Amino acid sequence: MSLLAQLTVNGLIAGAIYALVAAGFSLIYSTNKFMHFAHGISVVVGAYILYSLFSLIGIPFYLACILTLIFSSLFGLGTYRLMYLPLQNKKASNVVLLIASIGVLILFQNVIQLIFGPDVKSVGYIKVARGLNVFGAIITPLQIVIILISITLFVLLYLFMKKSKLGRDMRAVSDNKELASIMGINHKRIADYSFIIGSFLAGVAGILIGLEQNLNPTMGTILIIKGFTGAVIGGVGFIPGAVLGSFLLGLAENFSIWFLPSGYKDAIAFVLLFIFLLLKPTGLFGINKDVKK
Amino acid sequence: MIWPYLTHLLILIGIYVILTVSLNLALGYTGLLNLGHVAFFGIGAYTSALLTKAGVPFLLAFIIAGIFASIFGYLLVLATRKLKGDYLALATLGFSFVIYSLMLNWTGLTRGPLGIPGIEKPSFFGLTISSTYSYLIFVAVICILSVFVIYRIVKSPFGRLLEATRDDEMGLRVLGKNTFKLKYKAMMISAFFAGIAGSLFAHYITYIDPSYFTIPEIILLLSIVIVGGIASIKGSIVSTFVILLIPEALRFLALSSSILGPARQVIYAMILLGILLLRPRGIFGRVDLE
Repeated sequence: MSLLAQLTVNGLIAGAIYALVAAGFSLIYSTNKFMHFAHGISVVVGAYILYSLFSLIGIPFYLACILTLIFSSLFGLGTYRLMYLPLQNKKASNVVLLIASIGVLILFQNVIQLIFGPDVKSVGYIKVARGLNVFGAIITPLQIVIILISITLFVLLYLFMKKSKLGRDMRAVSDNKELASIMGINHKRIADYSFIIGSFLAGVAGILIGLEQNLNPTMGTILIIKGFTGAVIGGVGFIPGAVLGSFLLGLAENFSIWFLPSGYKDAIAFVLLFIFLLLKPTGLFGINKDVKK
Repeated sequence: MIWPYLTHLLILIGIYVILTVSLNLALGYTGLLNLGHVAFFGIGAYTSALLTKAGVPFLLAFIIAGIFASIFGYLLVLATRKLKGDYLALATLGFSFVIYSLMLNWTGLTRGPLGIPGIEKPSFFGLTISSTYSYLIFVAVICILSVFVIYRIVKSPFGRLLEATRDDEMGLRVLGKNTFKLKYKAMMISAFFAGIAGSLFAHYITYIDPSYFTIPEIILLLSIVIVGGIASIKGSIVSTFVILLIPEALRFLALSSSILGPARQVIYAMILLGILLLRPRGIFGRVDLE
Protein backbone atom coordinates (compact mmCIF):
# COMPACT_ATOMS: atom_id res chain seq x y z
CA MET A 1 0.00 0.00 0.00
CA SER A 2 2.72 2.40 0.94
CA LEU A 3 4.57 1.52 -2.29
CA LEU A 4 1.47 2.38 -4.29
CA ALA A 5 1.17 5.71 -2.47
CA GLN A 6 4.88 6.45 -2.88
CA LEU A 7 4.86 5.72 -6.60
CA THR A 8 1.77 7.91 -7.02
CA VAL A 9 3.42 10.78 -5.16
CA ASN A 10 6.66 10.40 -7.15
CA GLY A 11 4.64 10.27 -10.35
CA LEU A 12 2.76 13.45 -9.46
CA ILE A 13 5.97 15.35 -8.64
CA ALA A 14 7.64 14.27 -11.89
CA GLY A 15 4.39 14.98 -13.73
CA ALA A 16 4.13 18.51 -12.27
CA ILE A 17 7.56 19.43 -13.65
CA TYR A 18 6.88 17.81 -17.03
CA ALA A 19 3.50 19.55 -17.16
CA LEU A 20 5.10 22.97 -16.62
CA VAL A 21 7.46 22.29 -19.51
CA ALA A 22 4.64 20.87 -21.63
CA ALA A 23 2.23 23.74 -20.93
CA GLY A 24 4.70 26.35 -22.20
CA PHE A 25 5.68 24.22 -25.17
CA SER A 26 2.05 23.59 -26.03
CA LEU A 27 1.09 27.26 -25.70
CA ILE A 28 3.87 28.21 -28.10
CA TYR A 29 2.92 25.40 -30.47
CA SER A 30 -0.76 26.30 -30.46
CA THR A 31 -0.24 29.89 -31.62
CA ASN A 32 2.82 29.33 -33.81
CA LYS A 33 2.29 25.82 -35.19
CA PHE A 34 5.89 24.76 -35.00
CA MET A 35 7.88 22.72 -32.52
CA HIS A 36 9.93 24.94 -30.21
CA PHE A 37 12.27 22.15 -29.14
CA ALA A 38 14.64 24.73 -27.65
CA HIS A 39 12.01 25.22 -24.94
CA GLY A 40 14.00 22.66 -22.94
CA ILE A 41 16.99 24.98 -22.83
CA SER A 42 14.80 27.88 -21.59
CA VAL A 43 14.21 25.75 -18.48
CA VAL A 44 17.92 25.10 -18.03
CA VAL A 45 18.82 28.75 -18.66
CA GLY A 46 16.30 29.66 -15.94
CA ALA A 47 17.81 27.18 -13.50
CA TYR A 48 21.37 28.39 -14.14
CA ILE A 49 20.35 32.06 -13.87
CA LEU A 50 18.87 31.31 -10.45
CA TYR A 51 22.06 29.47 -9.52
CA SER A 52 24.24 32.41 -10.64
CA LEU A 53 22.11 35.12 -9.02
CA PHE A 54 21.34 33.38 -5.76
CA SER A 55 24.18 30.93 -5.14
CA LEU A 56 27.09 32.77 -6.78
CA ILE A 57 26.24 36.48 -6.43
CA GLY A 58 24.10 36.17 -3.32
CA ILE A 59 21.04 38.19 -4.35
CA PRO A 60 18.08 37.53 -1.97
CA PHE A 61 16.17 34.45 -3.01
CA TYR A 62 12.82 35.93 -3.99
CA LEU A 63 14.40 38.79 -5.92
CA ALA A 64 16.61 36.24 -7.70
CA CYS A 65 13.49 34.26 -8.63
CA ILE A 66 11.79 37.32 -10.10
CA LEU A 67 14.89 38.23 -12.10
CA THR A 68 15.14 34.62 -13.29
CA LEU A 69 11.56 34.66 -14.53
CA ILE A 70 12.10 37.96 -16.36
CA PHE A 71 15.28 36.65 -17.92
CA SER A 72 13.71 33.35 -19.05
CA SER A 73 10.81 35.22 -20.65
CA LEU A 74 13.25 37.48 -22.49
CA PHE A 75 15.33 34.47 -23.51
CA GLY A 76 12.27 32.84 -25.09
CA LEU A 77 11.30 36.09 -26.79
CA GLY A 78 14.87 36.43 -28.05
CA THR A 79 14.91 32.98 -29.65
CA TYR A 80 11.67 33.86 -31.43
CA ARG A 81 12.75 37.31 -32.63
CA LEU A 82 16.33 36.43 -33.54
CA MET A 83 15.90 32.91 -34.91
CA TYR A 84 12.37 31.83 -35.73
CA LEU A 85 10.97 35.14 -37.02
CA PRO A 86 13.78 35.71 -39.57
CA LEU A 87 13.31 32.10 -40.71
CA GLN A 88 9.55 32.55 -40.99
CA ASN A 89 10.09 35.73 -42.97
CA LYS A 90 12.12 33.64 -45.41
CA LYS A 91 9.16 31.24 -45.70
CA ALA A 92 11.04 28.41 -43.98
CA SER A 93 9.06 25.20 -43.58
CA ASN A 94 8.16 23.76 -40.17
CA VAL A 95 10.89 21.17 -40.58
CA VAL A 96 13.50 23.90 -40.96
CA LEU A 97 12.14 25.58 -37.81
CA LEU A 98 12.28 22.24 -35.97
CA ILE A 99 15.90 21.65 -37.03
CA ALA A 100 16.76 25.24 -36.06
CA SER A 101 15.19 24.74 -32.64
CA ILE A 102 17.26 21.59 -32.04
CA GLY A 103 20.28 23.65 -33.12
CA VAL A 104 19.42 26.37 -30.57
CA LEU A 105 19.01 23.70 -27.87
CA ILE A 106 22.44 22.20 -28.55
CA LEU A 107 24.05 25.64 -28.94
CA PHE A 108 22.98 26.92 -25.52
CA GLN A 109 23.49 23.58 -23.82
CA ASN A 110 27.15 23.80 -24.80
CA VAL A 111 27.43 27.51 -24.06
CA ILE A 112 26.21 26.75 -20.51
CA GLN A 113 28.70 23.91 -20.30
CA LEU A 114 31.51 26.25 -21.40
CA ILE A 115 30.53 28.85 -18.78
CA PHE A 116 29.69 26.62 -15.81
CA GLY A 117 31.53 23.38 -16.62
CA PRO A 118 30.06 19.92 -17.07
CA ASP A 119 29.81 19.02 -13.37
CA VAL A 120 26.53 19.24 -11.45
CA LYS A 121 25.58 22.37 -9.51
CA SER A 122 23.14 22.77 -6.69
CA VAL A 123 21.23 25.92 -5.76
CA GLY A 124 21.11 24.93 -2.09
CA TYR A 125 18.40 27.32 -0.92
CA ILE A 126 16.40 24.67 0.85
CA LYS A 127 18.10 22.49 3.39
CA VAL A 128 17.22 18.83 3.17
CA ALA A 129 14.01 18.62 5.12
CA ARG A 130 12.39 15.71 6.87
CA GLY A 131 9.72 14.17 4.67
CA LEU A 132 6.10 14.13 5.74
CA ASN A 133 4.18 10.92 5.81
CA VAL A 134 1.05 11.08 3.66
CA PHE A 135 -0.91 7.82 3.37
CA GLY A 136 2.32 5.90 3.83
CA ALA A 137 4.25 7.91 1.22
CA ILE A 138 7.17 10.17 2.08
CA ILE A 139 6.90 13.66 0.60
CA THR A 140 9.06 16.69 1.39
CA PRO A 141 7.52 20.16 1.95
CA LEU A 142 9.31 21.37 -1.19
CA GLN A 143 7.66 18.66 -3.25
CA ILE A 144 4.25 19.73 -1.94
CA VAL A 145 5.12 23.31 -2.93
CA ILE A 146 6.12 22.11 -6.42
CA ILE A 147 2.79 20.38 -6.95
CA LEU A 148 0.81 23.34 -5.51
CA ILE A 149 2.65 25.97 -7.58
CA SER A 150 2.25 24.05 -10.79
CA ILE A 151 -1.45 23.36 -10.23
CA THR A 152 -2.05 27.03 -9.34
CA LEU A 153 -0.28 28.10 -12.53
CA PHE A 154 -2.31 25.71 -14.65
CA VAL A 155 -5.57 27.10 -13.22
CA LEU A 156 -4.36 30.67 -13.82
CA LEU A 157 -3.24 29.81 -17.34
CA TYR A 158 -6.60 28.18 -18.05
CA LEU A 159 -8.51 31.22 -16.77
CA PHE A 160 -6.18 33.52 -18.70
CA MET A 161 -6.77 31.65 -21.95
CA LYS A 162 -10.54 31.51 -21.37
CA LYS A 163 -11.34 34.94 -19.94
CA SER A 164 -8.73 37.55 -20.84
CA LYS A 165 -8.71 39.47 -24.10
CA LEU A 166 -5.14 38.39 -24.84
CA GLY A 167 -5.92 34.75 -24.10
CA ARG A 168 -8.91 34.83 -26.42
CA ASP A 169 -6.82 36.46 -29.13
CA MET A 170 -4.30 33.66 -28.70
CA ARG A 171 -6.94 31.00 -29.08
CA ALA A 172 -8.25 32.81 -32.16
CA VAL A 173 -4.79 32.81 -33.76
CA SER A 174 -4.36 29.17 -32.75
CA ASP A 175 -7.66 28.25 -34.36
CA ASN A 176 -7.31 30.18 -37.59
CA LYS A 177 -4.47 32.60 -38.16
CA GLU A 178 -5.86 34.07 -41.39
CA LEU A 179 -9.26 34.75 -39.92
CA ALA A 180 -7.72 36.20 -36.77
CA SER A 181 -5.65 38.70 -38.75
CA ILE A 182 -8.73 39.69 -40.74
CA MET A 183 -10.39 40.42 -37.41
CA GLY A 184 -7.51 42.78 -36.62
CA ILE A 185 -5.46 40.53 -34.36
CA ASN A 186 -1.75 41.07 -34.94
CA HIS A 187 -0.42 37.52 -34.97
CA LYS A 188 3.20 38.61 -34.55
CA ARG A 189 2.28 40.35 -31.29
CA ILE A 190 0.44 37.18 -30.23
CA ALA A 191 3.52 35.14 -31.09
CA ASP A 192 5.64 37.47 -28.93
CA TYR A 193 3.27 37.01 -25.99
CA SER A 194 3.08 33.25 -26.42
CA PHE A 195 6.87 33.04 -26.27
CA ILE A 196 6.99 35.35 -23.24
CA ILE A 197 4.32 33.41 -21.30
CA GLY A 198 5.56 29.99 -22.43
CA SER A 199 9.13 30.80 -21.44
CA PHE A 200 7.93 32.29 -18.15
CA LEU A 201 6.46 28.86 -17.37
CA ALA A 202 9.80 27.34 -18.41
CA GLY A 203 11.48 29.71 -15.93
CA VAL A 204 9.16 28.50 -13.15
CA ALA A 205 10.05 24.92 -14.06
CA GLY A 206 13.73 25.89 -14.02
CA ILE A 207 13.45 27.37 -10.50
CA LEU A 208 11.58 24.36 -9.14
CA ILE A 209 14.04 21.92 -10.70
CA GLY A 210 16.90 24.00 -9.34
CA LEU A 211 15.47 23.62 -5.84
CA GLU A 212 14.58 19.95 -6.13
CA GLN A 213 17.60 18.44 -7.86
CA ASN A 214 21.12 19.08 -9.10
CA LEU A 215 21.69 21.04 -12.30
CA ASN A 216 23.68 19.90 -15.26
CA PRO A 217 23.91 21.48 -18.71
CA THR A 218 22.53 18.50 -20.63
CA MET A 219 19.27 18.20 -18.70
CA GLY A 220 17.43 20.40 -21.23
CA THR A 221 17.26 17.68 -23.86
CA ILE A 222 15.71 15.12 -21.56
CA LEU A 223 13.31 17.72 -20.11
CA ILE A 224 11.97 18.80 -23.48
CA ILE A 225 11.61 15.17 -24.54
CA LYS A 226 9.57 14.51 -21.40
CA GLY A 227 7.52 17.69 -21.78
CA PHE A 228 7.03 17.08 -25.46
CA THR A 229 6.00 13.47 -24.86
CA GLY A 230 3.50 14.65 -22.25
CA ALA A 231 2.15 17.16 -24.75
CA VAL A 232 1.90 14.53 -27.49
CA ILE A 233 0.08 12.12 -25.17
CA GLY A 234 -2.50 14.77 -24.32
CA GLY A 235 -2.63 16.59 -27.67
CA VAL A 236 0.12 19.00 -28.71
CA GLY A 237 -1.84 22.17 -29.37
CA PHE A 238 -4.28 21.74 -26.47
CA ILE A 239 -2.85 23.02 -23.18
CA PRO A 240 -5.10 21.19 -20.65
CA GLY A 241 -4.47 17.99 -22.64
CA ALA A 242 -0.71 18.58 -22.55
CA VAL A 243 -0.86 19.08 -18.77
CA LEU A 244 -2.89 15.91 -18.20
CA GLY A 245 -0.67 13.97 -20.59
CA SER A 246 2.41 15.05 -18.64
CA PHE A 247 0.94 13.85 -15.34
CA LEU A 248 0.09 10.55 -17.04
CA LEU A 249 3.68 10.30 -18.25
CA GLY A 250 5.05 11.02 -14.77
CA LEU A 251 2.83 8.32 -13.28
CA ALA A 252 3.56 5.82 -16.08
CA GLU A 253 7.32 6.29 -15.60
CA ASN A 254 7.16 5.74 -11.87
CA PHE A 255 4.78 2.79 -12.02
CA SER A 256 6.97 1.20 -14.70
CA ILE A 257 9.55 0.26 -12.07
CA TRP A 258 7.05 -2.29 -10.85
CA PHE A 259 7.62 -4.47 -13.89
CA LEU A 260 10.77 -3.08 -15.56
CA PRO A 261 14.34 -2.51 -14.34
CA SER A 262 14.60 1.10 -13.12
CA GLY A 263 17.12 1.90 -15.87
CA TYR A 264 14.26 1.80 -18.34
CA LYS A 265 12.45 4.69 -16.62
CA ASP A 266 13.66 7.25 -19.17
CA ALA A 267 13.05 4.87 -22.04
CA ILE A 268 9.32 4.83 -21.18
CA ALA A 269 9.00 8.38 -22.49
CA PHE A 270 10.83 7.59 -25.73
CA VAL A 271 8.69 4.54 -26.39
CA LEU A 272 5.43 6.32 -25.51
CA LEU A 273 6.45 9.26 -27.71
CA PHE A 274 7.16 6.99 -30.64
CA ILE A 275 3.96 4.98 -30.19
CA PHE A 276 1.76 8.07 -29.87
CA LEU A 277 3.36 9.82 -32.85
CA LEU A 278 2.72 6.73 -34.96
CA LEU A 279 -0.68 5.62 -33.76
CA LYS A 280 -2.37 8.67 -32.32
CA PRO A 281 -0.47 11.85 -33.20
CA THR A 282 -3.48 13.94 -32.21
CA GLY A 283 -3.08 12.74 -28.63
CA LEU A 284 -5.75 11.54 -26.24
CA PHE A 285 -7.63 14.83 -25.93
CA GLY A 286 -6.36 16.95 -28.80
CA ILE A 287 -7.94 18.00 -32.03
CA ASN A 288 -5.18 18.75 -34.47
CA LYS A 289 -5.75 19.23 -38.15
CA ASP A 290 -2.12 19.74 -39.06
CA VAL A 291 -0.73 16.28 -38.38
CA LYS A 292 -1.29 14.68 -41.73
CA LYS A 293 -1.97 17.69 -43.93
CA MET B 1 53.68 14.08 -35.52
CA ILE B 2 51.25 15.70 -37.93
CA TRP B 3 50.85 12.72 -40.27
CA PRO B 4 49.24 10.18 -37.90
CA TYR B 5 46.85 12.93 -36.81
CA LEU B 6 46.01 13.82 -40.42
CA THR B 7 45.45 10.14 -41.20
CA HIS B 8 43.09 9.93 -38.24
CA LEU B 9 41.14 12.93 -39.51
CA LEU B 10 40.94 11.55 -43.03
CA ILE B 11 39.60 8.21 -41.73
CA LEU B 12 36.86 10.04 -39.81
CA ILE B 13 36.11 12.17 -42.87
CA GLY B 14 35.82 9.02 -45.00
CA ILE B 15 33.33 7.49 -42.55
CA TYR B 16 31.34 10.74 -42.37
CA VAL B 17 31.26 11.07 -46.16
CA ILE B 18 29.48 7.68 -46.31
CA LEU B 19 27.12 8.79 -43.54
CA THR B 20 26.23 12.18 -44.99
CA VAL B 21 25.96 11.10 -48.61
CA SER B 22 23.64 8.27 -47.55
CA LEU B 23 21.61 10.68 -45.39
CA ASN B 24 21.32 12.98 -48.38
CA LEU B 25 19.92 10.10 -50.42
CA ALA B 26 16.99 9.85 -47.97
CA LEU B 27 16.69 13.45 -46.81
CA GLY B 28 17.64 15.33 -49.96
CA TYR B 29 16.81 13.13 -52.91
CA THR B 30 13.76 11.30 -51.56
CA GLY B 31 12.47 14.00 -49.20
CA LEU B 32 12.30 11.60 -46.24
CA LEU B 33 12.82 13.90 -43.28
CA ASN B 34 14.99 11.52 -41.38
CA LEU B 35 16.43 12.93 -38.15
CA GLY B 36 17.25 9.41 -36.96
CA HIS B 37 20.10 8.56 -39.32
CA VAL B 38 22.46 8.31 -36.37
CA ALA B 39 20.41 5.34 -35.11
CA PHE B 40 21.37 3.34 -38.23
CA PHE B 41 24.99 4.33 -37.65
CA GLY B 42 24.71 3.04 -34.08
CA ILE B 43 22.91 -0.15 -35.08
CA GLY B 44 25.68 -0.86 -37.59
CA ALA B 45 28.42 -0.15 -35.06
CA TYR B 46 26.90 -2.34 -32.34
CA THR B 47 25.96 -5.16 -34.73
CA SER B 48 29.42 -5.39 -36.19
CA ALA B 49 31.19 -5.07 -32.83
CA LEU B 50 29.03 -7.71 -31.14
CA LEU B 51 29.21 -10.14 -34.06
CA THR B 52 32.99 -10.03 -34.34
CA LYS B 53 33.20 -10.43 -30.55
CA ALA B 54 31.11 -13.58 -31.00
CA GLY B 55 33.62 -14.90 -33.52
CA VAL B 56 31.94 -13.96 -36.79
CA PRO B 57 34.51 -13.01 -39.49
CA PHE B 58 34.83 -9.26 -40.02
CA LEU B 59 33.67 -9.14 -43.62
CA LEU B 60 30.47 -11.02 -42.78
CA ALA B 61 29.83 -8.83 -39.72
CA PHE B 62 30.43 -5.74 -41.86
CA ILE B 63 27.78 -6.81 -44.41
CA ILE B 64 25.32 -7.93 -41.72
CA ALA B 65 25.75 -4.53 -40.00
CA GLY B 66 24.53 -2.88 -43.19
CA ILE B 67 21.70 -5.34 -43.74
CA PHE B 68 20.54 -5.11 -40.14
CA ALA B 69 20.46 -1.30 -40.27
CA SER B 70 18.60 -1.51 -43.54
CA ILE B 71 15.92 -3.77 -42.00
CA PHE B 72 15.39 -1.08 -39.36
CA GLY B 73 15.18 1.44 -42.22
CA TYR B 74 12.34 -0.56 -43.71
CA LEU B 75 10.56 -0.83 -40.36
CA LEU B 76 10.92 2.92 -39.77
CA VAL B 77 9.35 3.80 -43.12
CA LEU B 78 6.64 1.19 -42.59
CA ALA B 79 5.80 2.60 -39.16
CA THR B 80 5.89 6.27 -40.16
CA ARG B 81 4.31 5.99 -43.61
CA LYS B 82 1.26 8.05 -42.62
CA LEU B 83 3.20 10.96 -41.12
CA LYS B 84 4.32 14.09 -42.91
CA GLY B 85 6.42 17.19 -42.28
CA ASP B 86 7.61 17.91 -38.76
CA TYR B 87 5.69 14.97 -37.30
CA LEU B 88 7.65 12.60 -39.53
CA ALA B 89 10.86 14.35 -38.53
CA LEU B 90 9.98 13.99 -34.85
CA ALA B 91 8.99 10.34 -35.18
CA THR B 92 12.38 9.58 -36.75
CA LEU B 93 14.05 11.54 -33.97
CA GLY B 94 11.99 9.52 -31.48
CA PHE B 95 13.17 6.35 -33.23
CA SER B 96 16.79 7.36 -32.61
CA PHE B 97 15.96 7.93 -28.91
CA VAL B 98 14.40 4.46 -28.68
CA ILE B 99 17.52 2.88 -30.21
CA TYR B 100 19.72 4.98 -27.90
CA SER B 101 17.83 3.88 -24.80
CA LEU B 102 18.08 0.25 -25.93
CA MET B 103 21.86 0.63 -26.25
CA LEU B 104 21.93 2.23 -22.82
CA ASN B 105 19.60 -0.16 -20.98
CA TRP B 106 19.91 -3.53 -22.65
CA THR B 107 22.98 -4.12 -20.53
CA GLY B 108 22.95 -7.89 -21.07
CA LEU B 109 23.74 -7.32 -24.73
CA THR B 110 25.38 -3.90 -25.01
CA ARG B 111 26.92 -3.45 -21.54
CA GLY B 112 24.98 -0.17 -21.36
CA PRO B 113 26.97 2.99 -20.57
CA LEU B 114 30.17 0.96 -20.08
CA GLY B 115 30.28 0.42 -23.82
CA ILE B 116 32.08 -2.29 -25.75
CA PRO B 117 35.87 -2.12 -25.51
CA GLY B 118 38.49 -4.05 -27.44
CA ILE B 119 36.72 -4.33 -30.76
CA GLU B 120 39.16 -6.09 -33.05
CA LYS B 121 40.72 -4.51 -36.13
CA PRO B 122 39.30 -5.83 -39.40
CA SER B 123 40.92 -8.90 -40.90
CA PHE B 124 39.92 -10.70 -44.05
CA PHE B 125 41.54 -12.97 -46.66
CA GLY B 126 44.33 -13.57 -44.19
CA LEU B 127 45.43 -9.96 -43.81
CA THR B 128 44.76 -7.78 -40.80
CA ILE B 129 44.34 -4.03 -41.04
CA SER B 130 46.22 -2.92 -37.99
CA SER B 131 48.03 0.34 -38.87
CA THR B 132 46.06 3.56 -39.32
CA TYR B 133 47.54 4.02 -42.79
CA SER B 134 46.17 0.75 -44.05
CA TYR B 135 42.86 1.54 -42.32
CA LEU B 136 42.77 4.82 -44.23
CA ILE B 137 43.17 2.94 -47.50
CA PHE B 138 40.45 0.50 -46.47
CA VAL B 139 38.05 3.32 -45.50
CA ALA B 140 38.90 5.23 -48.68
CA VAL B 141 38.06 2.19 -50.84
CA ILE B 142 34.75 1.58 -49.07
CA CYS B 143 33.96 5.30 -49.12
CA ILE B 144 34.62 5.68 -52.85
CA LEU B 145 32.62 2.53 -53.62
CA SER B 146 29.69 3.75 -51.48
CA VAL B 147 29.65 7.21 -53.02
CA PHE B 148 29.91 5.69 -56.48
CA VAL B 149 26.95 3.36 -55.84
CA ILE B 150 24.81 6.16 -54.39
CA TYR B 151 25.82 8.44 -57.26
CA ARG B 152 24.74 5.81 -59.79
CA ILE B 153 21.48 5.31 -57.91
CA VAL B 154 20.52 8.99 -57.92
CA LYS B 155 21.42 9.36 -61.60
CA SER B 156 19.45 6.25 -62.59
CA PRO B 157 15.75 6.21 -63.60
CA PHE B 158 15.10 4.93 -60.07
CA GLY B 159 16.82 8.05 -58.70
CA ARG B 160 14.59 10.26 -60.84
CA LEU B 161 11.57 8.49 -59.37
CA LEU B 162 12.91 9.21 -55.88
CA GLU B 163 13.20 12.90 -56.69
CA ALA B 164 9.72 12.82 -58.16
CA THR B 165 8.46 11.28 -54.89
CA ARG B 166 9.94 14.24 -53.06
CA ASP B 167 8.57 16.87 -55.44
CA ASP B 168 5.11 15.54 -56.20
CA GLU B 169 4.16 12.35 -54.44
CA MET B 170 0.51 12.59 -55.41
CA GLY B 171 1.38 13.12 -59.07
CA LEU B 172 3.59 10.05 -59.07
CA ARG B 173 0.86 7.97 -57.48
CA VAL B 174 -1.55 9.13 -60.20
CA LEU B 175 0.95 7.76 -62.71
CA GLY B 176 0.61 4.39 -61.00
CA LYS B 177 3.90 4.32 -59.09
CA ASN B 178 4.01 2.80 -55.64
CA THR B 179 5.64 5.66 -53.73
CA PHE B 180 5.70 3.71 -50.46
CA LYS B 181 7.90 1.12 -52.17
CA LEU B 182 10.18 3.84 -53.52
CA LYS B 183 10.47 5.41 -50.08
CA TYR B 184 11.33 2.25 -48.23
CA LYS B 185 13.83 1.23 -50.88
CA ALA B 186 15.55 4.61 -50.60
CA MET B 187 15.54 4.43 -46.80
CA MET B 188 16.87 0.87 -46.84
CA ILE B 189 19.77 1.83 -49.11
CA SER B 190 20.46 4.91 -46.99
CA ALA B 191 20.36 2.87 -43.78
CA PHE B 192 22.58 0.15 -45.28
CA PHE B 193 25.39 2.63 -45.92
CA ALA B 194 24.94 4.22 -42.49
CA GLY B 195 25.21 0.69 -41.04
CA ILE B 196 28.49 -0.10 -42.80
CA ALA B 197 29.79 3.34 -41.80
CA GLY B 198 28.97 2.32 -38.22
CA SER B 199 30.96 -0.88 -38.67
CA LEU B 200 33.95 1.06 -40.04
CA PHE B 201 33.72 3.45 -37.10
CA ALA B 202 33.47 0.72 -34.43
CA HIS B 203 36.43 -1.24 -35.78
CA TYR B 204 38.50 1.90 -36.19
CA ILE B 205 38.16 3.37 -32.70
CA THR B 206 37.80 -0.14 -31.18
CA TYR B 207 35.55 1.16 -28.38
CA ILE B 208 31.92 2.24 -28.65
CA ASP B 209 29.35 3.40 -26.12
CA PRO B 210 25.84 4.84 -26.55
CA SER B 211 27.00 8.47 -26.19
CA TYR B 212 28.40 8.39 -29.75
CA PHE B 213 24.89 8.05 -31.16
CA THR B 214 22.89 10.95 -29.68
CA ILE B 215 21.55 14.41 -30.51
CA PRO B 216 24.91 16.22 -30.95
CA GLU B 217 25.78 13.66 -33.61
CA ILE B 218 22.46 14.38 -35.33
CA ILE B 219 23.26 18.10 -35.32
CA LEU B 220 26.64 17.40 -36.92
CA LEU B 221 25.14 15.22 -39.68
CA LEU B 222 22.36 17.72 -40.39
CA SER B 223 24.84 20.62 -40.47
CA ILE B 224 27.02 18.82 -42.99
CA VAL B 225 24.14 17.78 -45.25
CA ILE B 226 22.35 21.13 -45.14
CA VAL B 227 25.50 23.23 -45.57
CA GLY B 228 26.63 21.06 -48.48
CA GLY B 229 23.23 21.21 -50.06
CA ILE B 230 19.95 19.36 -50.15
CA ALA B 231 20.12 16.73 -52.91
CA SER B 232 23.76 17.30 -53.79
CA ILE B 233 26.32 14.53 -53.38
CA LYS B 234 29.18 16.83 -54.29
CA GLY B 235 27.94 19.27 -51.63
CA SER B 236 27.88 16.62 -48.90
CA ILE B 237 31.42 15.51 -49.70
CA VAL B 238 32.90 19.01 -49.77
CA SER B 239 30.98 20.02 -46.68
CA THR B 240 32.11 16.95 -44.72
CA PHE B 241 35.73 17.98 -45.29
CA VAL B 242 35.11 21.63 -44.41
CA ILE B 243 32.93 21.11 -41.33
CA LEU B 244 35.05 18.36 -39.80
CA LEU B 245 38.23 20.35 -40.35
CA ILE B 246 37.02 23.76 -39.05
CA PRO B 247 36.96 22.84 -35.32
CA GLU B 248 40.44 21.36 -35.67
CA ALA B 249 41.69 24.95 -35.70
CA LEU B 250 40.76 24.95 -32.00
CA ARG B 251 43.48 22.38 -31.37
CA PHE B 252 46.14 25.00 -32.02
CA LEU B 253 44.73 27.05 -29.15
CA ALA B 254 45.79 24.27 -26.77
CA LEU B 255 42.44 24.17 -24.99
CA SER B 256 41.70 21.49 -22.47
CA SER B 257 39.50 18.65 -23.68
CA SER B 258 36.66 19.69 -21.33
CA ILE B 259 36.44 22.94 -23.30
CA LEU B 260 37.23 21.48 -26.70
CA GLY B 261 34.15 19.20 -26.76
CA PRO B 262 31.52 21.85 -26.03
CA ALA B 263 33.35 24.44 -28.15
CA ARG B 264 33.15 22.09 -31.11
CA GLN B 265 29.42 21.56 -30.51
CA VAL B 266 28.91 25.33 -30.34
CA ILE B 267 30.64 25.70 -33.70
CA TYR B 268 28.54 22.96 -35.31
CA ALA B 269 25.30 24.42 -33.96
CA MET B 270 26.24 27.93 -35.11
CA ILE B 271 27.11 26.63 -38.58
CA LEU B 272 23.72 24.90 -38.73
CA LEU B 273 21.77 27.98 -37.57
CA GLY B 274 23.81 30.23 -39.86
CA ILE B 275 23.16 28.19 -42.98
CA LEU B 276 19.44 27.90 -42.15
CA LEU B 277 19.23 31.69 -41.87
CA LEU B 278 21.39 32.51 -44.89
CA ARG B 279 20.76 29.79 -47.42
CA PRO B 280 18.51 26.97 -46.17
CA ARG B 281 19.02 24.84 -49.27
CA GLY B 282 22.77 24.83 -48.74
CA ILE B 283 25.68 25.83 -50.91
CA PHE B 284 25.23 23.32 -53.73
CA GLY B 285 21.59 22.58 -52.93
CA ARG B 286 18.94 22.41 -55.60
CA VAL B 287 15.73 22.19 -53.56
CA ASP B 288 14.34 23.47 -50.27
CA LEU B 289 13.78 21.36 -47.20
CA GLU B 290 10.05 20.90 -46.74
